[in-house]
Amino acid sequence: MSIKKNILITGATSGIGKALACLLVKDLNTCVYGIGRDEEKIQDLLGYENFIFLKFDLFKVEEIEELFKSSLGDIKFSGFVHCAGLEETLPIGLYTVDRVQQVFTVNVFSAIEIVRNLSKKKYSLDQASFILLSSVMGELGQPGKIGYCASKSALLGFARSLALELAKRKIRVNCVSPGIVDTPLTQKLFQQIEEENKSRIVGMHPIGIGEPNDVVYLIEYLLGDKSKWLTGQNIKIDGGYSIQ
Amino acid sequence: MNTAKFLELVRDELELDSDLHVSTNLKELDEWDSMAAMVLIGLVSNEFDVNLTGDDINSITTVQSLIEKIGTERFE
Repeated sequence: MSIKKNILITGATSGIGKALACLLVKDLNTCVYGIGRDEEKIQDLLGYENFIFLKFDLFKVEEIEELFKSSLGDIKFSGFVHCAGLEETLPIGLYTVDRVQQVFTVNVFSAIEIVRNLSKKKYSLDQASFILLSSVMGELGQPGKIGYCASKSALLGFARSLALELAKRKIRVNCVSPGIVDTPLTQKLFQQIEEENKSRIVGMHPIGIGEPNDVVYLIEYLLGDKSKWLTGQNIKIDGGYSIQ
Repeated sequence: MNTAKFLELVRDELELDSDLHVSTNLKELDEWDSMAAMVLIGLVSNEFDVNLTGDDINSITTVQSLIEKIGTERFE
């Protein structure tokens, strides 16, 4: 097996991250390193020789450097996709510092800490592509989504600054901002709200809610050479949700 | 801080391909640019609690001149 590309994915055991891993492993020249907590959810992926599961809890941000040293010491990545994300509905009155910290730890701080390591020459190739999964909620607002919206917004600022810092090595950094995609995260959200509210949310997407692969094909494009002039951008993919 | 350790730290953080000595002119390194200057300012701030100014960065040449800017008494 001659590996030409190593891609690191967070949130690889569910939703868009898992769908992305499933697509990328089909190319035997690509080795996919998937970070996640629960390998039970990706039994189908574990059979691939070019898929390596890194069981790791992104809440432990301070252990990320050790993860690189112990498990990724001699790997140079050409791509990184941050799919891990925490979503919750909580009004401002209940948003204590601890709760905000939790959401930001997974959604933002873990990505920054991974990139702090990954951006070193020993872990990444020139012309690599880093992609951060934000959300249409990074630019829009919704009641009860303070932590989610604020953290997804933070990723947009992170991506822009990072794109400039890494431009010298022609490493590209972009955000992908999906609308509602049919993932376990969304199903959990839908279970918490009334049917009427659910229909209203679905109805706000002019061409319907998305499937994971709708987003995955965009990420595939951003990872590849065909997008080599694209950096520092936030690409919304939301079935028309945000143009209304 | 031990001077050898400082050299290693600077070399690591600037991701230099070449060796680094106290006599090395930082400005003549292939890797020297505005980002490298930023890395150096951050590194010195973290390690020595010394905030280098833009003028300081303009005036330094060799690693020795950087050490003098930080304060030779901070090195062994």
